[in-house]
Amino acid sequence: MFLRQREPLIFERSVPGKRGMDLPRLDVPEARDTRPAHLQRSGFDALPELSEVDVIRHFTRLSKWNYGVDDGIYPLGSCTMKHNPRLNEKVALLPGFTDSHPMAPDALVQGNLELVHTLQEWLKEITGLPGVTLQPSAGAAGELTGVMLIRAYHVSRGAKRRVILIPDSGHGTNPATAAMAGYDVVELPSQPDGTISFADVTDPTSGKVRKGLLSLVAELGPEIAGAMITNPNTVGVFEYRFKEIADLLHSIGALVYMDGANMNALIGVARPGDFGVDVMHLNLHKTFSTPHGGGGPGAGPVCCAEKLRPFLPVPVVVRETKEVGEGEVRVPTYRWDWDRPESIGKVHTFFGNFGILVRALTYCLSHGSDGLKAATLRAIVNANYIRVRLQGAYALHIDSPSLHEVVFSDTLQAKREVHTLDIAKRLIDHGYHPPTIYFPLIVPGALMIEPTESEDKFELDAFCDTMLTIAREAEEIPEALHHAPILAPLRRLDETTAARKPVLRWQKPVPVQA
Amino acid sequence: MRYLPSSPVEDQALLDAIGVPDAEALLRGIPEPLRLRRELELPLQSSEQEVAGQMLAMANRNTRFCAQFLGAGAYDHFVPSAIDALISRQEWFTAYTPYQPEISQGTLQHLFEYQTLICDLTGLEVTNASLYDGGTSCVEAALMAVRVAKKRHTVLVSRGLHPLYRDVLRTNFAPHAELNLVEVGLKGGVTDLADLTAKLNGDVAAVLVGYPNFLGAVEDLAALAGPIHAAGALLVSVTQEAFAFGWLEAPGRVDADMACGEAMSLGNKPNFGGPFLGFLAGKDAHKRELPGRVVGQAKDLQDRTGYVLTLTAREQHIRRDKATSNICSNQGLVTLRANIFMQLAGPEGLKGLAAQNAAKAQYLRQRLLELPEMEAVDDQPFFNEFVLRYRGDYDFLEAACLQESLLPGLDLGRYYAEYQGCILWCATELHSRSMIDSLVATLARVPATV
Repeated sequence: MFLRQREPLIFERSVPGKRGMDLPRLDVPEARDTRPAHLQRSGFDALPELSEVDVIRHFTRLSKWNYGVDDGIYPLGSCTMKHNPRLNEKVALLPGFTDSHPMAPDALVQGNLELVHTLQEWLKEITGLPGVTLQPSAGAAGELTGVMLIRAYHVSRGAKRRVILIPDSGHGTNPATAAMAGYDVVELPSQPDGTISFADVTDPTSGKVRKGLLSLVAELGPEIAGAMITNPNTVGVFEYRFKEIADLLHSIGALVYMDGANMNALIGVARPGDFGVDVMHLNLHKTFSTPHGGGGPGAGPVCCAEKLRPFLPVPVVVRETKEVGEGEVRVPTYRWDWDRPESIGKVHTFFGNFGILVRALTYCLSHGSDGLKAATLRAIVNANYIRVRLQGAYALHIDSPSLHEVVFSDTLQAKREVHTLDIAKRLIDHGYHPPTIYFPLIVPGALMIEPTESEDKFELDAFCDTMLTIAREAEEIPEALHHAPILAPLRRLDETTAARKPVLRWQKPVPVQA
Repeated sequence: MRYLPSSPVEDQALLDAIGVPDAEALLRGIPEPLRLRRELELPLQSSEQEVAGQMLAMANRNTRFCAQFLGAGAYDHFVPSAIDALISRQEWFTAYTPYQPEISQGTLQHLFEYQTLICDLTGLEVTNASLYDGGTSCVEAALMAVRVAKKRHTVLVSRGLHPLYRDVLRTNFAPHAELNLVEVGLKGGVTDLADLTAKLNGDVAAVLVGYPNFLGAVEDLAALAGPIHAAGALLVSVTQEAFAFGWLEAPGRVDADMACGEAMSLGNKPNFGGPFLGFLAGKDAHKRELPGRVVGQAKDLQDRTGYVLTLTAREQHIRRDKATSNICSNQGLVTLRANIFMQLAGPEGLKGLAAQNAAKAQYLRQRLLELPEMEAVDDQPFFNEFVLRYRGDYDFLEAACLQESLLPGLDLGRYYAEYQGCILWCATELHSRSMIDSLVATLARVPATV
């Protein structure tokens, strides 16, 4: 499974005089030096000297210490690790796309503008929301754009509202985003079924009372700018009172942001625009299969209701059809509209992570409306199959109907001193990437499993069998699980010391004085 | 649907095990009135062959050029073949953020090496695992400087910074009534020292200066650092063309406190502006104010060296609304392209490529100045971009170039009123002498009027 040998840091492999790149012959006179002397580049301390062979072997060996979606199920909940079609990669590397310049006149990039417009039309129909921008680079960037739209809307109406409500089950990016957009965050408590509580909630251990939605709305009313709600929420459960929540917030002039991280459960079966959402983001790198790339790049388009459209980032793509001649075919042309006086401005230097948009549209065209809906249903079936197979061996802290993911708790294993971290690390020994762990925070020792639609019964059974084996191991050899992983290239890493005494780069060893 | 594991037999087995008659039954958690009771009004699924054809047709509707003389924040450089080959390995491009270090050492060690090289290029001590792009890197740098400076609320931005970076800064500062974003004017194509000095005061946290700036001019960071540091503010160097690091001294070695900008030039194509590669480097003392992912060294149970995501106490999943930023991704695969590029180039390759860029730009400028309609402006030292005044009509010039499959430089008047009638030209190692000569020959034929 893994490469056993160690691959040193590349800096230790550097040998003076090696070359991994031969420069072309210079066919113009050499550059005259016009730089002030102190601005001339001096040396480098770390850049290594290597041949192409060295570099290719280095990155090939390093790659073998990673786990990818082609290795097998990648059950990270909330991350939607689905199959990455190879066609999408091939299309994104077409020179017609990669060579195109973002500052080129519109007339020269008609293909790109058509692509942007077409993808926007798909996302409008999928979400039921008429406004779209593809500019945000990632989910968090989409959140920030969306909340800035909410802010611009209130400012345009002369309202000063300072609060954003966020459920305690929400992703950490939600409160961080609200703060970056200049808002105070007030937390909405969850009730035992995992959804937002309308009533006040008393903490069973501390006895502390946390105000529910109704109390908060009554108390903060005109201060509330909006709420950021993930739906289905991070427990994989649909907020079944979503419409009521939206109506209540709208009645006090607040807006509703939906975190679309879990949109893989909804495409073709329900549309946020139909249940009260004013603005939301999509994660193209989750729901639309664009690769995660070891952390990015992603893309986080924002879709919004009509009343927020004037505030969308500039530029906005416009499609026009012109009559070419008497009785001739109408040819569509596209242009960027920069003249949007109410716009919040730019949120990315250019037009977002365009190469990711190419992949997402390819995914849409391949699936079509029928394939998209089939994918949603299969993702839900797969999660429920895992739920049925593992229920009993692992505790379901929240028993609401699961959609595309299922969240277990380690409470059964904890009796034998085996915890979520041990289960996760043991999965590595068995050849699997672990699920998302210790999130959402409202489930003790959470193990959040999202199989996606890409897995067939054979793969699901193999994964479930392994999870059941680990549950047995937790009963029989609990001590052993504390040592996992033992078969990975490294044992558990000491993250505490790493953070206390951070080493964030390689430095040339200082020569020892004789 | 080729990507879905679907057969009637298997589907039935799964449904039987779950105990439902069909998949729709599992949607019972969604209230009936909120369900979509029709099919999405979109085309039906298509074969790989059909989709490939459709996408190729779209790509072909973009105009292709023999040569692009347009830079302005997106640079066309040669990309070694090893890069596309390596990043196409599924272990790299399909993997997730390395939350589980024991199963993600490839990504983590790569990022540690990448961080080392960004520190090397910028001459600074710490950096993160990347940011979205040049514009957003300026936002994160400015907000980081405000955190570092404490109780200072003003950020000065040179007008020489990329106009779109300044737009992104304005958007992100708008929600913060407590923060001020103030522009510093240009004089002779570089930041106006007199205007800067006049605007520096005890409330200024940082000054952002292009290096080289958007007009291609090399700003003298060392000279600007004096008054900036005397006012207790930080000097942030913003580089939109990373190849300049092979030509110009590292910002950290000429008194910049932070360096940020765009590193797409390291192994990427212009790609219509994304995905690109934002970077941000600073001093060791400021490491706990960095935004985004940071990779650090760690030891495992057997004292072997490995790598982990670290300093997470700054981040959104721990600190929530008190985090240094909301960012929870990086430009992973683009950092990999940059790391491979830097390792292939090495110190000699990077310096050699930079010298070629400077030589090509100087040759282009010299040839263009042979045309009677072209006139020198500002005359500052430059790297691979420079401004010339054009006495003719830009539209005619553009039309003539396009006819010869050449993309001309940027009409600068669109972004700077004071540079009306000026063009920002760029040349890189990709521009052969004959391409440059044919551009000049084409321009010589441009009619002065209709």
